Formats: sequence, structure tokens, C-alpha cells
Amino acid sequence: MKLSLKWLNEYVKVDVSVDELARKLTMAGLEIEGIAKPGEGLKGVVVAQILASEKHPNADKLSVTKIDDGSGTPLQVVCGAKNYKVGDKIPLATVGSELPGGMKIGKARMRDVDSFGMLCSSKELGLTEESSGLLILDPSLKVGTPIAQALGLDDVIFEVNVTPNRSDALSHLGIAREVATLLGADLKKPSTKLSESSTAASSKIEIKIEDAERCWRYAARVIEGVTVKASPAWMQQRLGACGVRPINNLVDVGNYVMLEYGQPVHVFDLDRVGGGKIVVRTAKGGEKLKTLDEKDRVLDAQDLLICDEKVPMVLAGVMGGIDSGVTEKTTRILLEAATFQPATIRRSSKRHALHSESSHRFERGTDVSVIPEAIDRLAALIVEIAGGTVLQGRVDNYANKKEPRQVTLRTSRVGELLGVEVPAQECERILSSLGFVRAGDAPYAGSSISSGLRTAASASSTSTWIVPQARVDVSIEEDLIEEIARIRGFDAIPPALPRGLSALEPERPQLALERRMRSALAGQGFDEVVNYSFVAPADLAAFQAEQGAIAISNPLSVEQSVMRTTLFASLVPNIARSVRHQATGVRFYELGRSYRPHAGGGEGSKPVAQETLELAGALYGGSRSWTGSKDADFYDARAAVESVLSALHIEGVTFEVLDSPWYHPRASAVVKRGDVLLGTVGELHPRAMKRLDAPAGVYLFQLDVAKLLESAALVPQAAPLSKFPSVNRDLAVVVPVALSADQVRSVILEVGKPLVDDAIVFDVYEGKQVGEGKKNLAFALRYRSAERTLTDTEVTEAHTRIVAEVSKRLGAALRA
Amino acid sequence: MNDRLAALASSAQSELEKAVTLDAVEALRVKFLGKKGELAAILGGMGKLAPEERKALGAAANTLKTELETKITAALTRVQDQALEAELKGPRLDVTLPGRGVKPGHRHPVSQTLEDICSTFARLGFVIEQGPEIELDWYNFEALNVPADHPARDMQDTFYVDGKQVGVTKPKAPGGDGVGEQVVLRTHTSPVQIRTMLAQKPPVRAVMPGRVYRKDSDQTHTPMFHQVEGLLVDEKVTFAELKGTLDAFARAFFGAKSKTRFRPSFFPFTEPSAEVDVSCVFCAGKGCRVCKQTGWLEVLGSGMVHPNVFRHAGYDPSKVTGFAFGMGVERLAMLRYGIDDLRTMFENDYRFVAQF
Ligand SMILES: [Zn+2]
Repeated sequence: MKLSLKWLNEYVKVDVSVDELARKLTMAGLEIEGIAKPGEGLKGVVVAQILASEKHPNADKLSVTKIDDGSGTPLQVVCGAKNYKVGDKIPLATVGSELPGGMKIGKARMRDVDSFGMLCSSKELGLTEESSGLLILDPSLKVGTPIAQALGLDDVIFEVNVTPNRSDALSHLGIAREVATLLGADLKKPSTKLSESSTAASSKIEIKIEDAERCWRYAARVIEGVTVKASPAWMQQRLGACGVRPINNLVDVGNYVMLEYGQPVHVFDLDRVGGGKIVVRTAKGGEKLKTLDEKDRVLDAQDLLICDEKVPMVLAGVMGGIDSGVTEKTTRILLEAATFQPATIRRSSKRHALHSESSHRFERGTDVSVIPEAIDRLAALIVEIAGGTVLQGRVDNYANKKEPRQVTLRTSRVGELLGVEVPAQECERILSSLGFVRAGDAPYAGSSISSGLRTAASASSTSTWIVPQARVDVSIEEDLIEEIARIRGFDAIPPALPRGLSALEPERPQLALERRMRSALAGQGFDEVVNYSFVAPADLAAFQAEQGAIAISNPLSVEQSVMRTTLFASLVPNIARSVRHQATGVRFYELGRSYRPHAGGGEGSKPVAQETLELAGALYGGSRSWTGSKDADFYDARAAVESVLSALHIEGVTFEVLDSPWYHPRASAVVKRGDVLLGTVGELHPRAMKRLDAPAGVYLFQLDVAKLLESAALVPQAAPLSKFPSVNRDLAVVVPVALSADQVRSVILEVGKPLVDDAIVFDVYEGKQVGEGKKNLAFALRYRSAERTLTDTEVTEAHTRIVAEVSKRLGAALRA
Repeated sequence: MNDRLAALASSAQSELEKAVTLDAVEALRVKFLGKKGELAAILGGMGKLAPEERKALGAAANTLKTELETKITAALTRVQDQALEAELKGPRLDVTLPGRGVKPGHRHPVSQTLEDICSTFARLGFVIEQGPEIELDWYNFEALNVPADHPARDMQDTFYVDGKQVGVTKPKAPGGDGVGEQVVLRTHTSPVQIRTMLAQKPPVRAVMPGRVYRKDSDQTHTPMFHQVEGLLVDEKVTFAELKGTLDAFARAFFGAKSKTRFRPSFFPFTEPSAEVDVSCVFCAGKGCRVCKQTGWLEVLGSGMVHPNVFRHAGYDPSKVTGFAFGMGVERLAMLRYGIDDLRTMFENDYRFVAQF
């Protein structure tokens, strides 16, 4: 909402600086987001009059003018415009001034003729985007007046961020009320004097409210004999300053009253209101209305209409119809000021995607009690600038009477909630100044609360307050406390740390788990990424993971339209993008959720969807190094998984072959601990690779964090160290290629029990020396006993036994 | 014989002095003291001598043996020292070559900031609670005192999910009234407040971090971002304590000289509500481009929990009060790391992440 300081000053005397006023409003909850001083850049531009004009002797398109700038000595100015006549008043940029566009005005010589200054267009003054010719000024302006003052630009325009609860502050009077309270000044409301004819308005019009649930009050007045024309300059300036485009005097006055009182109003051409009858009713399904923006609106029973005896004229609270508005020929008018149910207006406005200054106010709630004042003000201003006679009386149908709310305040509660005592007198001062009235005080305007004697209870701990009906946001005690707190200023509340804890809860194990996983992967060289949770369906389809993916009904784009079912749909594109940006080696991980529907979603406290926290990684290529450069392969991905498992002390994990559309069938594994699937690891499937435009050689892993948490030993337990030395022996066997190292190793460990402590593969060789379809596996065996030092004989005997068993069970040949 | 010993002693002396390698010294040891060495050869000839001569010669030979052993040891030490000296003077490594092995990875600034925010509050005894991102309208709006058709809904443009697609066909949330069947991507972390209170009795002292979604995308908005929500509920919790808590957080997070400023504002789920500004970390409050010359940065929303929120969560607002706050993690991360384009956060360019 744009607030004009000049306008504000009509209602409250602002005796603080612009910055101080902005600070006070901001600190009271009306945040000032911007301060514009439109006249600031126009110093040195004055109102001037053209005394004479001749053709330039050396240029057809130029004229040489004689200008009166108020100094007494006429100036010679060369001018290129043609849209003036001698005697016109125009803006003159004097020598030494600078225009908003940055142009500096100096004495110039144009085609051998001296020119002292420049005659300006509205574009050159920065007032409009486009203009043709000079800005011709109001002839009544005094020559020599600074242009900013002449055009009413010597103003300060505040951009006020009005939060949705404060519809009362969507008007100059509403903010003036606030300013008066903050400055301790008086609020001067406009005084409206209306002279009415003896003809009763009620003899010409009738108002029928068929849906009082949605239309609470509808008041009208009638004026006859108006002349539609442009508004006077002061009104145009004022509306323009507040960002409202002037149209004609009737429309402009309506907007003016809305900006003044916050009450949207409407002006009908009474001759176009069939039967002089206003009917407020809900629309019938399929009914149509052409609104002012020349669009045909198809209505439904949600919409509220203002109709004449036959047809809809206005989509209530949102926008007028094109056939009932005022035209240049209009002479008899019907003025409307009404109150509608906020939710109704909001629904209509949303459904028709029509947001107007009116709907903005109505959907937030308007002051039902201000209707008589606002419509009288509207009538008075119209008579002032459009002429005409006001018919006698308001026709005011207040079908759904709303009593002002009453809210009780306990002073003790103020202290309890704020943490600082506020004396009852101060609470009372603040609330009274904001227009709240103690129940039991003098009768409240527009209400039927009976008057009563004010008791001596003003300092007591409990008081009941009648809420001004403009304050639609105040309905409970906490609301009153907020009013007190914000007007006193939150600075007046001393900060205090919360009182002590009753108990300290242990940290959630998942946090420790996450920290360890992150540091394990950092140690493996993985950079963390954070991706959007929604992806393109095609990216899921590349993994055959689009089935059942949760779709967003109103996505911003198809690229962000489904919730990911696998983090790979984010990570692989991350890798592809990096490679396109010349990365030679990338390692990324993300700790985030995947999303799938599940049975019973949304029941009780069960989440709507199954949201699985996953740790997923992708790696590609390698950094080039003088110590040797190697591109990532399956075993780097597996190493990443192992580092995580090791950091979490998860033991007894096996890697088994896996068939999955995510992975290359020849290089993929499922990570299991017993029967529990912890995750998967492998090379990106070539088909997915193609579809995602990824390079060859991308390796992936994903782990289910909840499963890891079940298996993790975050506090591993110590085992005693053997006091006895170990003996190391190597064992090399030639086995068929298809036989896995784990198969050989498990035989070694089983047969070697209890002497073999560990067996580590330290070499794998395939080649001519071992024969086609075979491979050599070399193991380093460690023999150890917890009870004694092993003898050479013992170890040799065990080793021989292992060799024999391995050959027997696996058909392996001991390698010489 | 004595002459022979003397000759041996003298030749050993001069040969040992000439020896410059370990092997040469070792060879001399064998030559002089070995089983078939020169000393042994001399002693081998002793059989022909008279007993007293033999005794004297034996003693002399033993003395010589000890003497030679000492000399050999000394020669060994000398050649070792010489070898070491030579080794120390050899060509130096190119120490400018980089080290071997994997370079550690980097944390994403958003997740790092989120973790740091949470651990700062953990020092004040806040525990971490998490909740779903795909949420019923009831938890995201209704229970937080944002009924349907309330203009406050415009403050957060919402992504919707078809309830039927995820199997939510009838209102199931506690207190659900038919609107609750709408499914949304949560627009803030505040629904976790409701879930937390429904799941436990007061007191509550929790922070709730996570992803949130709003249908908004431009220079300063991304459709997904992160929030950390905070909630403290107990008997007689005050606004003063809200101020103290966030003031302490600002100083712990932005530096001991940071100041906070509380401005009245509006959130449907708190009353009174406050925006919290922190003194600009770039200009220390003097005014600069980042703070638009105000000296303040808006970083938090906060307030006292609205009684209606307590009612929806099954708490009695006449028995408990509480405060809640929420902050945007990306904004704090940008301030902290000097990131000036929000959108780079989610592009995940490897050159971006590698900076942190
Ligand atoms: Zn600054």
C-alpha cells in the first residue's frame, strides 16, 4: 500500500522526520519497505510561460521561444516541440539543473542561436514512460513555482507492507490512526457536510439482499445531475502518487474514498440499473457476466452478484460489469458501499483469477461500521467535483447486523505472556488511542452497547474492551496483548534466556549416524550435493522408477513435476552436468529422501507418503595425478559403501550379485547383512546412461539410513587384544573365474577355525599363466591364538589342511 | 711371531683406514679375524712354540684381537657415518609435487549451515524432531490457524498432490473436516510442531529442520528450500524468553557482537508475532548494499504460539504458553559464505561445492 505523507498530514500532524516516521511504523508492525520522494530529482525545474515563439532561422524543426520564468527577464530557449501555443505554461529546466535522466542543462548554442534552459516533456521529467511534446501545465499555476510543488510531487510516498491481518491499515485514515497513537497526536477525521434535496433516495431505488450470509450490509445513495469529466489536478496527482490511474471524476472519487477509508465503493449509472432495483444474490450456475476487463465470466453458486431487477451488474467485491458502469453521458448515479463475507470474495477472486484493489480489501475484511461515513464522504466529494444534487437519505440495508466484539484483558496475563509487567493504565492508554473502548464507557458509535457508568476499575486487573470493527484481526486476549506490546515496542521487553531444563535428552542416534556417514564419505573424496526433491518423469523413467511416483498437481515445470523415487534421478544428472563442464573426476553424495505412496498414508499420525531417507552417491572418472591416474570403477563405489559401514561399525555384511534396471548386470551388488537389505552398489546401467545423457563409467550406490541405524554399533565394545604373536602365511589358488573370492575365503575361514584369524585377498590374476577361464587368487592368512604362541608345526599343519580342503571343495589347484 | 703380530697390526691399521664401504670393512674383518683369517693363521703356528712363549704370544694375540675388533667397530661407525653423510647430501626430492591419495570431499553449505543451526540450539537443550514433507493440508495449514479461504494462504504459494494418487481419499487427520484430505508439499516446517505436540506432553523444546516447498521461482526464490523451526512450550513461557533465546542464537551464530531487533509482524500461528532482524554481518549495522543501507538483515520469523494452535495440538492454552520461530537456512548460508546467487545452491556445480 502506497501512503502519501501529504495526504496523511491531513488527518494527523506528523512532527517527526520522514525516517523517524518510517522507523516508528516499521517497529509497530507496519513495515516501510520503501520511501520515494518523487520531486527530489526536479530541482531547478520551474513553471514557466511561453511569451513568444518563432521559427528557428536555420532549422525547420526548431523554434526559438521567449520564456517568462518569473525572474522578470524573459529567456530565449530553443525548442523542438510543436504541441504548444503562445501563452501556455510549461516546465522549464533552468540552466544549471539536472533532469532525472541525468541530463545536465547548461547554456547551449543551437544552430547559431543561444538557448538558456530546456522546455520539458513529462518523459523528460521522469513522470511518464512516454510522452509527445511538452507537458502543458494548468494555466492557473504561478510562473516561477518549483515544478515539484506545482505538480504535487513535493511529497513522500511510503511503500507500506501491510500484513494480511491488518486490513484496517489499507487506508490513509487507518494508518493515520496508528500514527496518531505512535506520536501521541490527535486524529482529525474528514468532516463531511452534505446538503440533500427533499426527494428521498428511497423513492428512486430499492435494495434487496437475498443472501445475508454473504452480504452483510449494503448502503446506497443517489445523486442526480452530475457531469462526468476529468478529475481536478489535485485528485489526479494524489491518486497517481498512490499508484492508481485516474479515469474520470466519478471513478476517481470512488478510488479516493477507498484509499482514504479503506472501504471499496462502486458508482452505477442509475439509468442503467433496471427498475432502480439492487438485488444482492448468489449466482446461478452457468450465469454470465462481462466484467470491466471485457472478459466473459461464467459464474457459479459460489459467486455473489449485484444485480438489477433482471441482470447481473457486478461480481460483488471483485469487479464491475461493463454494462452498468458510468459513461460520459451519465447524469444520475447510484453510490454503493457494502460489506461482504471475506471468504466469499476470496473464493470468487481466486476462481476468476481476478485480483482488484476491492477484492484485496474485502477478502481481508472491511469495517462494517464505516459504511455510513464512507458513503456520505463519497457523495460529498462527488458533488464537489462533479456537481449534482444528493437525494435525501441513505438507503442502508444492514441485513446481517454485526455487533462489535468484546474482549477481556487481564493485566496479569499481559505480564505472563510478555515477561514484563505493563501497568493497567498504560494498557488502557494504548488501547483507547487505537480506538478500543472500555465496555461500560460512553456508547460506542454504531453499536447497541448500552452506556453505563464507568467504574473506578480502570486500574483493576481485568477490563473488557469493545473492539473497533475495523480491527477484524482482534478477537482474543492475546490479540489485545499484541496491540499493547507492539505499540510500546518489542524493544521494551527485556530478553531473558529460557528457564532451566528439567532433563537433558540423549542425542538422537540418527544424528550421530549422519555425521559419521558424512565424514566417512568426505574421507573418500565425496562432495555433498543438495538436489530438488522433484524431478522430471523422464529421469525416473530412465531408471524404470516412474511407476507410482507421486506427481505434483500444479508443478512449475515438467522438470520438477514428480517426487523422486530414487536419488539417482538427481545424482546422475549432476554427474552429467559436471562432465559437460569439463570435470575429469567427480564424486557426489546426497543425504535425502525418496518418496513413494504407502498403504494407510495420512491415517492417524502416519505420514501421507513413505519418505525414505537415503544416502546415495555417484562417482565418475578420477583426478589426474603424477602418482598415477585411474578412473573410478566398481571397487571405488564399493569402497565408499565399505567406508560408511566401517564408520558405523556394521559387521557381517555381504555383497551379492544383483539384477536391477539401475545397474549394469555385470557390475552390481546388493549389500546385505543377514536378510536385511542395506542398499545396492554398481555401475550405471548402459540404457539409463544413454537416456540421461551421462558418460560411460558412472558408478552408484545407495543405502537405506533407517536400516543402517538398526545395524550400526555407534558405541563399539572393546575386545581384549591377543598377547601372543600372529603368524602370516600366504595361500594362492587357481579357481574358475566364476568362483567368487568370498566363496574361497569362507572355506578358508571355516576350515581354518579357530586358528585363522583373518584372510585377505591380496592378488587376483587372470591370464595365460593360469589358463583359460581360470584365475589366481592369493590370500594372506593370519594365524593367531588368544591363549598361546602357535608353533610352526601347528601352523604348517593347519595351512596344509586348508589347502587340501580348498582344492577338494572348490576344485582349486594350489599354485606353485 | 711377535713380529708377525706387529705386522698384522700395522697392515690392519692401514687397510682399515683405507676402507670406505661397509662391505670393505666386513671383508677386512674376515681377512684379519675370520676363522681362516690372518690372526688365526698366526695362532695356528703357535703349536711349535714353547709353553711359556705360547702363553705370552696368546696374550699378545688376544690383546691384538680386542684391539682389531675395536678398530673394526670404529671403522664400521666411520663408514656408516660417511655413508649417511653421503646419503644426506644426495639429491633432494621435489617437495613441490602434491601428496598422494584421495582429497577429502566437501560439505554443501546448506546442510552444513543447517547442522550448525541445530547444534547451536542443542546447546540450549533443544532436541531435533523431523516430520514428513508430503503433508496433509490439516497439519500444514488448518492446525496452524490458517483456515481455507484465509488470505494468509497467499503468503505461501503451495504445491498440491492429488490425494487420490497417494491413497488419501477421506479426511483422516485429527480434527480433519474435509479440507484436510488435501495433500500438499509442506510450505514450512511448522507442521512438525503439530506432530510433535500431538505425540508428546509438554514441556517441548525442539528444533525441526527440513526441506520445504513453495511454488515460486525467481532470482531470490527457489521452489524448494530449507527451514529450521523451533518450539518451546512449558508453563509460563514468555515473549522475553523468546527474545532471549533468539538473541543468544544470533550471538552464537553470527558473532558475539551481533544484535537483534524484534519487529511486530503477522503469522497466523503466533500471537504476538515478530520478525527478527540481526545487525548486518557485513557492515556491523552501519548500512551497506547487502542490508539495503538499513543496518539490519531479516533472518527469522517468530512469536508466541497462538492458542488455536495449542487447541489443535491437544494442549490447553490456559495451562501452557510457548514460543515458536522459523528461519530460512539458505538465507543464513548465503550471509555466512558470501554466496550472492541463491540458485547456485541447487545447481550442484562441482566447482561450487568444492569451495566449502
Ligand atoms: Zn550492511
